[in-house]
Amino acid sequence: MSPTIPMGPYHPALDGPFKIDVTCEGELISTSDIRVGFNFRAIEWLSERKTYTQDVALFERVCGICSNVHTLTFSRAVEAIGGLEVPERAQYIRVIVAEAERLHSHLLWAALACSIIGFKTLFMTCMDLREHVLDLLESISGNRINYAMNRPGGVNRDIKDPAGVIRAVRAIGATAGKELIPVLTTDVTVRARCSGVGVLTRGDAIAFGAIGPVARASGIDQDIRTAAPYEAYGRLSFEVPVRHDGDVFARIVVRSLEIIESCKLIEQAVEMMPEGPLRGDNFPKIPEGEACARIEGPRGEVFYYVCSDGSQTPVRVKVRTPTFMTMPTVRPMLVGQTLTDLSLIQASIDPCYSCTDR
Amino acid sequence: MQADAIITLLAPGLVPTKQTDGVWMYAPELDVRAMAFLMVGEEKRFVTITAQPAEAGRHRLIYHWDVDGLLVNFSTEVADGRAVSIADVCPAADWAERETRDFYAIEFEGSTDRRPLMVLPGDEPGFFNRTREAGHDADPAKTSYLDHTAEKGGAK
Repeated sequence: MSPTIPMGPYHPALDGPFKIDVTCEGELISTSDIRVGFNFRAIEWLSERKTYTQDVALFERVCGICSNVHTLTFSRAVEAIGGLEVPERAQYIRVIVAEAERLHSHLLWAALACSIIGFKTLFMTCMDLREHVLDLLESISGNRINYAMNRPGGVNRDIKDPAGVIRAVRAIGATAGKELIPVLTTDVTVRARCSGVGVLTRGDAIAFGAIGPVARASGIDQDIRTAAPYEAYGRLSFEVPVRHDGDVFARIVVRSLEIIESCKLIEQAVEMMPEGPLRGDNFPKIPEGEACARIEGPRGEVFYYVCSDGSQTPVRVKVRTPTFMTMPTVRPMLVGQTLTDLSLIQASIDPCYSCTDR
Repeated sequence: MQADAIITLLAPGLVPTKQTDGVWMYAPELDVRAMAFLMVGEEKRFVTITAQPAEAGRHRLIYHWDVDGLLVNFSTEVADGRAVSIADVCPAADWAERETRDFYAIEFEGSTDRRPLMVLPGDEPGFFNRTREAGHDADPAKTSYLDHTAEKGGAK
């Protein structure tokens, strides 16, 4: 008889609640079933009852890690409906904050991955480095988590100490490049623990609509920052790391290289950022219309659809978060894997259930 | 295959609207399974489905696809709360269909998984519909599963 082992919704390796039932043949997983929704908050429903100004604050709370990408995507959808021009300086500031957010998100994920594989010393290195990124975000926005930087038509705050940002990001990049990433990507223990584990083939990645680092680790060269450039990304130079093995190790390598690229992007953006206004004078009136917006968040593409009837409240807001697409890819990843690798494999997609459940 | 060619194949005679956010195709009667077969065959990426209440009990279903970086949006309509599932052709659509059923009680015919995704097991589909009927300022907690079943005589 094949036993079905239920795990969750409160998981030993992650704070986010989800449930996964795996059926095993011996120690090998044959099938799995994933359940989400334990953190469902009906944020889409709530947003249709609040003004656009209130909604910016609401969407900041979709996720505690990538809060900025949600306000940015919502603002971009509203800007598309209203035909609003975002000042050039604000576009660069949006890039700087978005990349700093990617940095701290990737470092948190790396820390958790190290913890799961038992690499406690590297866990401490990742968390220490992440603190410096949070310090940087605090110096820009005054906040370490919900930065309240975006609004339709621009940003709320200026970067008053560009030289300080460059100093901080150079130090972060140097530590990541010399101490963290070489260990993560070449250490024998990490490689032995993660190579060939939880493979997502390119075909499955396409079929399941995989996005972000999960897709790029399976050979899909896809990044919204280059495929459909937004804000100042089209004027900046960076590379999109792609690997073809599709295993946990490939996901580690992709995210590690993205840490370096994010540091480069922040440095470039600060240096190229022109003087100028940050936003329009007043919060704009949003006309009737509908629009979508997509940006490349730390975990992949974030998608918003907004429909306006010309009132102060949107008629409909659809939020599709990255983990909503990448979580189902865990099922093909698990087939034929040992039960002991389950925690590592599901963590390798960098899941966020707060985002998924909204 | 380019986006224009895909649209011409799927909805000949209809003119797409090009916006800054992508291409919009308003095709209420679109054969969504033909769309899914074509998109999956061409390795185009499914993004999501947006459901939106329309007049006279109808719903809009917007299928969003990424075609080589371009967002292509097919806006369709369902009249009686019944749509056709594409999840067997495009597994990526499975959760989007289940969530749409949870929120708007749209049944996707042919779907092999009819369990709720976001709401509680056993909850009736149509969470957003119920709260919409209850009024703009309704407290969502008052239209939750427990109160809903209590109104129908269930245990609270």
